[in-house]
Amino acid sequence: MKNSFVIAVLAAALVFSSAATAQEKKDDASAKIPRMPDGHPDMTGVWQGGSNRIGTWEEANVDGGFVPGNVPITPFAIKGAQPPPPYQDWAQKKVQESYARRGVDEPMVRCLPPGVPRTTLMGLFPMQIVQTPKMVVMLFEVFHEFRLIPIDGKHPDDVDPSYMGDSVGHWEGDTLVVDVTGFNDKTWLSGVGTFHSEKLHVVEKFTRKDMNTIVYEDTVEDPVVFTGPWTRHGTIMLRPGTRLQEYECVENNDDLQRYNEMLKDESVFRRK
Amino acid sequence: MKFRAFGVLVAGIALSLAASPPARAHHSFGVEYDVNKPVSLTGTITSIEWTNPHCFIYIDVKDKDGKVTNWKFEGFPPSVLYRSGWRRDVTVKVGDEITMTGWQSRVGGPWGHSREVTLKDGRKFYFGPPPGTGDGGSNAPGASPAAPPAPPAPPAPSN
Repeated sequence: MKNSFVIAVLAAALVFSSAATAQEKKDDASAKIPRMPDGHPDMTGVWQGGSNRIGTWEEANVDGGFVPGNVPITPFAIKGAQPPPPYQDWAQKKVQESYARRGVDEPMVRCLPPGVPRTTLMGLFPMQIVQTPKMVVMLFEVFHEFRLIPIDGKHPDDVDPSYMGDSVGHWEGDTLVVDVTGFNDKTWLSGVGTFHSEKLHVVEKFTRKDMNTIVYEDTVEDPVVFTGPWTRHGTIMLRPGTRLQEYECVENNDDLQRYNEMLKDESVFRRK
Repeated sequence: MKFRAFGVLVAGIALSLAASPPARAHHSFGVEYDVNKPVSLTGTITSIEWTNPHCFIYIDVKDKDGKVTNWKFEGFPPSVLYRSGWRRDVTVKVGDEITMTGWQSRVGGPWGHSREVTLKDGRKFYFGPPPGTGDGGSNAPGASPAAPPAPPAPPAPSN
């Protein structure tokens, strides 16, 4: 009896000790992140969404970013597959039809902005975060998109539906939580055909876990097209030295003309 | 059964978030181009459009009988090429001989999607993404693309 008590105490001590070690390691990483004078994490910098590779843009994308390379990965990389979007049956058929048509109805080919949340993890182009105690500004190279996220702000009562929606943020510990409403229904959420209604509501969480990594989570709700909320995870990686450039889509968008030509006979490209 | 393809689609969407390759932007590969029509053509650059949302390189390609055809190849936008080391009118110029590897248009003709450019001195550069990595490619979204071997990174420009 006595012995089992000692074993139990020792086992408990071991568990607490492991937990303490893990906690220390975690604290160690978060202790080293830049912080604002008010103590909140400072995410100021240029970042690449949808990547889990550490390094400068050139180092992390040395192979164009499309081919597996020997590049170090953040310890906070998301493991495992993400859940599929929970479309209602009728909406799922619509997504399937878009897939069969190989995304010919892609809004971006018409130079319409990808919006929120699609832009956040679009890894081909960098984003820049400019942070003040009262406002977090996100600038995206692609389509010249920007987001203004007032801290502890409120959505306006008379918001006009838009591609990027209306964002307000608040801090929960080291996590910036952003609530986004006021969307139009002209964007896709993620891949081919992932449409939504103007009832779209997105809650995003940005947590700077270490020097290189923001862990991102978004929960997407849309009672018109979904059966329930859709939560996804990703990482956003720091890209020291990268400068945002221009992406002016309408300059020479000959894909639009060619798409219109292709649409004269869909059997040429439609999936069998 | 009915939604088998949809299962592939949603798996692709899920994978696209979990995997490290960045999503393609702007438009589908599969509407315009055919992954079953790979091309590799050597010719002389007649024109370069360093423009958004895509850059284009035009090359004159001579066939066995000496007939010249002007091919048009679509690639990344300027900012993406710049970050990978390309410089306008430095990396390749009008008059340079190059070998262009990519995939031809679904409707045929001298028009294609570019993946890789090989210079006369043997250096290789990516000019566009592989098919199937993004929206509407011929491969299932999220699937590993059949891509040419990775070329070395372009050198930094001297000026």
